[in-house]
Parts: sequence; C-alpha cells; structure tokens
Amino acid sequence: MDTPSELPERYRVERKQLYLPSDSFFFFAATLTYDTLRFVEFEDFPETSEPVWILGKEYNALTEKDEILSDVTSRLWFTYRKNFPPIGGTGPTSDTGWGCMLRCGQMILGEALVCRHLGRDWRWAKGQKQRDEYISLLNAFIDKKDSYYSIHQIAQMGVGEGKPIGQWYGPNTVAQVLKKLAVFDTWSKVVVHVAMDNTVVIEEIKRLCMPWLDACGELEGVGELNGCLEGACAMAEEETALWRPLVLLIPLRLGLSDINDAYIETLKQCFMLPQSLGVIGGKPNSAHYFIGYVGEELIYLDPHTTQPAVEPSEDSQVPDETYHCQHPPCRMHICELDPSIAAGFFCRTEDEFDDWCMRIRRLSCNRGTLPMFELVDSQPSHMVSVDTLNLTPDFSDSDRLERFFDSEDEEFEILSL
Amino acid sequence: MAPREKSQPHSKPFKLRKSLATRKQEVAGIRAKFPNKVPVIIERYDKEKYLPPLDKTKFLVPHELTMTQFVTIIRNRMALLPSQAFYLLINNSGLASMSLTMAQVYKEHQDEDGFLYMTYASQEMFGR
Repeated sequence: MDTPSELPERYRVERKQLYLPSDSFFFFAATLTYDTLRFVEFEDFPETSEPVWILGKEYNALTEKDEILSDVTSRLWFTYRKNFPPIGGTGPTSDTGWGCMLRCGQMILGEALVCRHLGRDWRWAKGQKQRDEYISLLNAFIDKKDSYYSIHQIAQMGVGEGKPIGQWYGPNTVAQVLKKLAVFDTWSKVVVHVAMDNTVVIEEIKRLCMPWLDACGELEGVGELNGCLEGACAMAEEETALWRPLVLLIPLRLGLSDINDAYIETLKQCFMLPQSLGVIGGKPNSAHYFIGYVGEELIYLDPHTTQPAVEPSEDSQVPDETYHCQHPPCRMHICELDPSIAAGFFCRTEDEFDDWCMRIRRLSCNRGTLPMFELVDSQPSHMVSVDTLNLTPDFSDSDRLERFFDSEDEEFEILSL
Repeated sequence: MAPREKSQPHSKPFKLRKSLATRKQEVAGIRAKFPNKVPVIIERYDKEKYLPPLDKTKFLVPHELTMTQFVTIIRNRMALLPSQAFYLLINNSGLASMSLTMAQVYKEHQDEDGFLYMTYASQEMFGR
C-alpha cells in the first residue's frame, strides 16, 4: 500500500470512560456479549456548548445528550459479519478486512430507506414491537444472497465495476453498485443517482425522478409542467407517482493526500441540510459512515467490529440489536479525513429537491470557502456531443509547432474547437 | 516526418524538470505563437493506481473550451467509463468548477511561470 498508515481504531483519547450510563434503560439496553464487551470503553460524548449536528438535526450537547444518543442508536449500523452463507456459493463467509466500504454503502442507503419508509424522526427502542416497514428494511440488508442490498449482492454487482469479490471499494464504487441494485428494489422505488465529475445537473435528476414527463412531451425548461403533473396525479394516488424518492450520491475528491482546508466548512454544512444522508469515506484505508459533526470533530459509525451473521428468524420479528450502535458514536478530527468521499442526500418529494437546490446555491455564495460540487440547471448541450466536435489534435498546428520547437524535449498537444 | 520518440511517463513532475526561467521562456514563446490558447500541464497524481498515464503532459487549450469539455477529452483519451471516478485538481488543491472556461480557470490559477497546472486522480479504496 502506498499509504501504510497503521491508524488504529481511534478508541484512544485521554478522557476514556467506561460507558455504563446511570440511566437504567440504557444500562439494560447495552448488550454485554463478548463481542461488544471488547468495545465497552468508548469516550463519552463531549460536554460542549458548541452545536452538535446529526444528519440535518441540531442538538445541544449539554441539555440533549439522551436525544443525541437515541438519534445515533436509531441509525442502521452495518458492521463486518462472519459465518454468513458463502458469497456466490463458494466465496467468503466473512467480510472482515475487506468489506468496510461496502458496509458504509449499506449504512448510507439504509439511512435513505429509513427516511423513505419510517421518516427521519423515527426512533429505535430495544425490544419494541417491530413495524412491518422496519422488518422489511432490515431484510433488505440481511447477509443472504437474495436480500436487495446484502453484502452478497453488493460484492457480486461490484464484479461489473471491475472489483472481484473481496476487493476494496472506494466511495464511488459502492455508489455505482447501489445505483444498479436499487433498480430491482420494487418495494422502495427510489432513484439512486450518482453525480459524476463533481457536478449535479438538475434537469438530469428531474428526468430520472419524473420519467413520465418525457412521455408527456418534451421536458423543456422544467418550469411549465403543470398539465403533465395533473396527468401524473391521476395515474396513481401514491406520492411516488409524482416523484420517485431521490437518493443523491456525490463522489468527490477534496484534495490529493489530505483534505484541502477550503472544503472543511462546506463539508460541515452538508450535515446541516435537512436532506443530509451523511458522508461515506474514512481515514486512509479504513471506511467510516460520517453522520455529523461537533466543533472540529466528525461523528461516525464504524463498521470495524466483526459480529456473527444474524439468522433470519422464523417468527416475523428480526433479532435487531446488533444492527444499532448502542455506545456513544466515534469521533475524529476533520483533518484526518481521507479526501475521497461521497456525500449523500435524500429528497422524498420534488419540493424537497427544489429546497435542497436553493440551499446549495445559497452555500455556494459564501466567501472564503470552496463549494465541494457544482449545481447546474442543465447539461451543456456540447458536452453530449463532444465527440462530434473537432477536439482532436490539430495537425496543421502541430506541424508548425514542431518546427517552432524543434529542439524541445516535449511537444504540446494542441486542442482546437 | 522525422520519427518521433514516444514520450515516457516522467519520474519527476514537470515543474522540477525545468527551471523557472526556462518555463517562463517556453510560455512566452508559445503564447506569442498561439494567443488564443492557454498552456496547460496535466499530470497524474504520483500515488494514482487506477487511472492510466497520459502520453502527453503539455496541452494548448482553446480559451473558450469549458472544463466539462476538457475533462471529457481527457476521459475519452483514457477510455474511461462514465461511471469511473476522475477528478482534476488545480494546483494540487481544489476541484475545478466544470462550467468555467479554460480562460477563466487560467486567469485565476495560472502559475508564476505562466502554465496552468492540473493533477488527475481517481478515488482511494478502503478495506481495513
């Protein structure tokens, strides 16, 4: 490896505390199995007056600690697992040591599906009667070959992205795989869009989330669509008939070896948007799912704990305790972030997407910071047909140039329009 | 036409291969000859493992070309799929806004030697 950084899991820190909260509910909620006992020592959440942001919600660390922990615990936590059915029939039965980015992909999509089926304000409580939507949700990720987004599906779909089973993924790899898998999820009916080249094209997204508009006639200037929308309304009563819920993933590279400081404020602002699904990325080599920040620290869920695979049970309730992180979340300094990330957003309705666009435009105006990506109305038409333009080397020019730079070691390549 | 030597990927970055004076002189010469084009140096990130090297380092690019078009040319040159990650970082630090023209990017980010420097990279992988 080029970056043989042996950064251990960051459970060091001076102010370590044994996390056994006095609150009796939490005490009994802590599953004191062998696996979790190894990680019982977690730093408690900091006592600070600085705001805490978790996936678009603001908290006060001094007065709302229980609410913060309850919010974090309610997120789906996907970790390494062992003893699941072999991938592809004969492949690995554990993803320890290679699957952390795949697990982070599951977590960010899991969060999108929680928003889609249960709502952002839904809270998990140990032992509560599970709603049907929640059971379906967990089943979509459980480690077996036919779950929509199981480690099996993700690893096998990655082969098409040039990643043999067991290879490491980047944020873009897992985003591309999730986009392909979501097509088969007829239950959620979400559109997963991966915005490439650090550019989000509004028109492209509107076409994807309202595909019937194309059928209604041309999608010209997304403004004059009322007639079509009424038609769509009549088609079905469901909300998804108007707009297929959007999971927007934006893979980025915010620097070469380290994150460029100019992106730090914009990155924090991502967690403040109500549409935030957080960020997948990590420290060099180790993937994490970032769900928020406090001060200069990112708050994340860590997949680097190997838990035994869960057997789908006969009765309809799923043994779900290991799918929720019941200790205070990990934190790391924002400067430790590897520059390769993907930011995620969820827009359930067209209004939510329009609101997101408005907020992003407002952020882009801030001085002294760099926007992480660009938001444009439509793809410039010349991009589509760039091949047909004469953008090949101009040979008449290069002949002239060769004479001009006869003795040069390297030539220019001349591009012409 | 005289046989051309196939250029090899260089071990040292362009900036370290030539003195500032030589680079300035080179820019002055080429700008005089091609006033409507900007001189761009594009190099692969030295730790890049997934994207191929380009056989050219120096490009003369029309002022009115947008970053989107420029990136498309480079992507096509490397035969990348649209789903493959490719990022151009200007001066090894920030991502270029895709809607800007080369003239705009040049104006803001040109080096003291008169070249515009870009580095390309994909994404890092995570697994441990």
